[in-house]
Amino acid sequence: MKQFFLASILAGALALPAVAADYTIIAPANPGGGWDQTARSIQTVMQEEGISSNVQVQNVPGAGGTIGLAQFASQSKGNANALIVGGYVMVGAILTNKSPVTLKDVTPIARLTGEYEAIVVPAASPLKTMGDLVEALKKDPGAVSWAGGSAGGTDHIAVGLIAKAAGVDPTKINYIAFSGGGEALAAILGNQVTAGISGYGEFEAQVKSGTLRLLAVSSAERLEGIDAPTIKEGGLDVVVENWRMIAAAPGLSDEQKAAVSADIEKLAKSAGWQETLKTKGWQDTYLAGDAFAEQLAKDISSTETVLKDIGLVQ
Amino acid sequence: MTKGNTPSNERRRPDRAALAIAVFLAGLAGLIFWDSSRLARINSYSGIGPSTIPFVIACGLLLLAAWTVFEALRGDFPERERQEIAPVVWIIGGLAAQMLLLKSFGFSIATGVLFAAAAAGFGRRKLWFTIPAGILLSLGIWLLFAGLLQLSLPAGPLEHLFW
Amino acid sequence: MSTFEFLLQGIVVAAQPMNLFYALIGVTLGTAVGVLPGIGPALTVALLLPVTYKLDPGGSLIMFAGIYYGGMYGGSTTSILLNAPGESASIVTALEGNKMARAGRGGPALATAAIGSFVAGLIATLALAFVAPFVVKLALVFGPREYFALMVLAFVTVSSAFGDSTLRGLTSLFIGFTLAIIGIDQLTGQARMSFGIPDLLDGIEVTTLAVAMFAIGEALYIAAQGDRGPDKIETVKGSVWMTGQDWARSWKAWLRGTAIGFPIGAMPAGGAEIGTFLSYAAEKRLTKHPEEFGNGAIEGVAGPEAANNASAAGTLVPLLTLGLPTTATAAIMLAGFQQYGLQPGPLLFATNPQLVWGLIASLLIANLMLLVLNLPLVGLWVKLLTIPKPWLYAGILLFATLGTIGANPSVFELGMLLTFGVLGYVMRIFGYPIAPVVVGLILGPLAEQQLRRALAISQGDVTVLFTSPIAAVLLAIAAAALIVPLILRARGRGEVLSQLAANED
Repeated sequence: MKQFFLASILAGALALPAVAADYTIIAPANPGGGWDQTARSIQTVMQEEGISSNVQVQNVPGAGGTIGLAQFASQSKGNANALIVGGYVMVGAILTNKSPVTLKDVTPIARLTGEYEAIVVPAASPLKTMGDLVEALKKDPGAVSWAGGSAGGTDHIAVGLIAKAAGVDPTKINYIAFSGGGEALAAILGNQVTAGISGYGEFEAQVKSGTLRLLAVSSAERLEGIDAPTIKEGGLDVVVENWRMIAAAPGLSDEQKAAVSADIEKLAKSAGWQETLKTKGWQDTYLAGDAFAEQLAKDISSTETVLKDIGLVQ
Repeated sequence: MTKGNTPSNERRRPDRAALAIAVFLAGLAGLIFWDSSRLARINSYSGIGPSTIPFVIACGLLLLAAWTVFEALRGDFPERERQEIAPVVWIIGGLAAQMLLLKSFGFSIATGVLFAAAAAGFGRRKLWFTIPAGILLSLGIWLLFAGLLQLSLPAGPLEHLFW
Repeated sequence: MSTFEFLLQGIVVAAQPMNLFYALIGVTLGTAVGVLPGIGPALTVALLLPVTYKLDPGGSLIMFAGIYYGGMYGGSTTSILLNAPGESASIVTALEGNKMARAGRGGPALATAAIGSFVAGLIATLALAFVAPFVVKLALVFGPREYFALMVLAFVTVSSAFGDSTLRGLTSLFIGFTLAIIGIDQLTGQARMSFGIPDLLDGIEVTTLAVAMFAIGEALYIAAQGDRGPDKIETVKGSVWMTGQDWARSWKAWLRGTAIGFPIGAMPAGGAEIGTFLSYAAEKRLTKHPEEFGNGAIEGVAGPEAANNASAAGTLVPLLTLGLPTTATAAIMLAGFQQYGLQPGPLLFATNPQLVWGLIASLLIANLMLLVLNLPLVGLWVKLLTIPKPWLYAGILLFATLGTIGANPSVFELGMLLTFGVLGYVMRIFGYPIAPVVVGLILGPLAEQQLRRALAISQGDVTVLFTSPIAAVLLAIAAAALIVPLILRARGRGEVLSQLAANED
């Protein structure tokens, strides 16, 4: 794993079109985070499955991925060997950071994995069901404090959507943003807040050991192996998925785009990738082509609406 | 650094540099006031919005600026040692050169220039020797850290000879 | 099997010759990368983690532990020798450690750091093994208001420990606060003091600021003295090793540092830096040689280094017992554990004892290996300082920028390094202390966020800040720490105290 960004671009530009393309994947986050892990898993699987002989990962951290996105859009134009990992968090970050570069400036290829939001309360909480929580929220929105990730992120958006669906003014929610999942989880476990919201994986161990009570998950259907209703079942039409995707550079020809899409499809269908998903506990939510484009457009517009409702975007 | 702050009996004239520091602090406070005035008023149950703490900090800076003026007029600031400008210019120039050369010329050349400029700042001005030496040293470091230890350091024409 | 048997079994596995070899490689690699200023253990582990994948679980776990400890120790080495802190937790080490190195006592400084790290790591890892479940219960009692009180205490103790002029110390602190505002406000997502520059949205990187102000600022200042200073630093005065007096002064500091660092590391929002600040302040208060503080007091290296390592082990308490990654390093360790099939969480000790104890045993072995590798090297490291000044400082600048480029190869980051370097230089000219700027940048945002969270949960009721017993006690200690020196000063001892509280530079 030699991280030679410029080297590989140069090599890529000079090399004759070969059967197996070399790729450089930008992980728009620090090493260790979700996007970085996704990028590095793609790297490993692509090389092991022979989809590409040489894959580099470069970290360009910052501002919810928008810095990496901006750099990628401007420096990789027309380069079919450049890829970037991204996700739903980017959609919100682009809006709250007023980023001049958006997902329209790159070529989204496919959604690869995703995670659903889970709503939990401490085991000692008097709230037993999602219904109880919504009741409390309706009675006094300020008295229900929600612990979750950064302001304007997936967790915050989900709470805004829940409030809206329950007929509560989304600007009145008492959302307490914590940095990183760990701190929020500590606040929930320590009974500092009413409820917690985050990706299910953050809470899984605590839910299984009984220290947290899982009230609902944000998927459309009940999830396999998770004993909890969906938010939808409680009568609130809220489905939130924190997905991760891979995108290619802007300005690609149709053939180039098709070649990248084919490689990514090969990746997503490979045994190595399925194995990786299992060990990392990621859901397989592969979605490509027009279906993904449509989903993406829907997510962007609904996110913009809810961020305006919460008051984070003017 | 000099051990300052011993109350001096003779009255010195107002310390201009210290007054400049006061102006800087007040300017910083003004910048914060201006910036936080543009922030959206976000309803929060804490009663403390995103602009509250910056406002408090800016007020603190204003107080410190006033205090600095007071000490400057009393001549309470410590004596300063004479500063030579040339070495400082060499080093700052070296850092700036590295910054500008890094992307296009790669790590070794950019850092080699910095190395030579820093050495020049400390009196070794034989650039015909220090620049190549710096580039060679940087290349060795690049090979060690980027090649062996997988740190991502920008590569340029020189690095491509090896990879 | 009992706890003890599990641990013994783990140690037997970890002490096999092949595993010891892996530990040695891990420590060496970790030290090599961790020694770069600005690249702390988190980044070191992230960069080198793939190296461990190729080994069997036992071997990779132990190499991983080695990389982790090596990365941590590497940071202290540059702090002491080059005044360029490798990570935020070794900033305090630079204060006294570099002064010692300049006075020809770099050997004892490195040795007390290494042995202190070892002692603290040993005690804290054993504490992790035996009292983790109790410590974690205590840590969870800490909510936003308790953290806020802890920050207030940290501010008070730290500000009293730096510098000889209240005005200049406070000014430095407020410059740190101002820098801390820059970036996205965590609680509302608003961009503050960013002026539309995307690179500023994530705020100022603590290590960039520290490396710039300490290493580059100082290089500029020394260069500006021209030929006045001596051409070489006197590298070895007395023994390269610790003398009997060094030992006598160090061991209590190690133990105190461990006692301060471990619980603070175990708190989900504690952070290793805070432990080092508190330890430094404690050592300065308790020392019999106050005149040496600011000029290279060995306690000022021994205590914070022990606190740093103890709090790193403390971080593992919430990680292993709750699956809570509370620092960047812990988050990366979590990713590493998953690679070995370890799913941290409340059930881990029950469901997967072999791996947990294997990990703890690996940490103990890696800790020992670090000492074995580094103590003999102390003499060699100290020789670095015999390099003539032009080459030495050119090298310091080279490494300072290398760390920054390696962490984030962006021109903007280098620009910040230069800007803050110049700021650090100017502040030195006028006798402003540097450390409070860094303290303000680290603690400022923590205090603000915890205060706002506490008040949001209480819906604006300020009295909650005082009604929690823990918060009340912490605030009372803070008040005492602020008032007692005032009383002492009023009694006339203050004159002596402020004379002795040596200058920053």
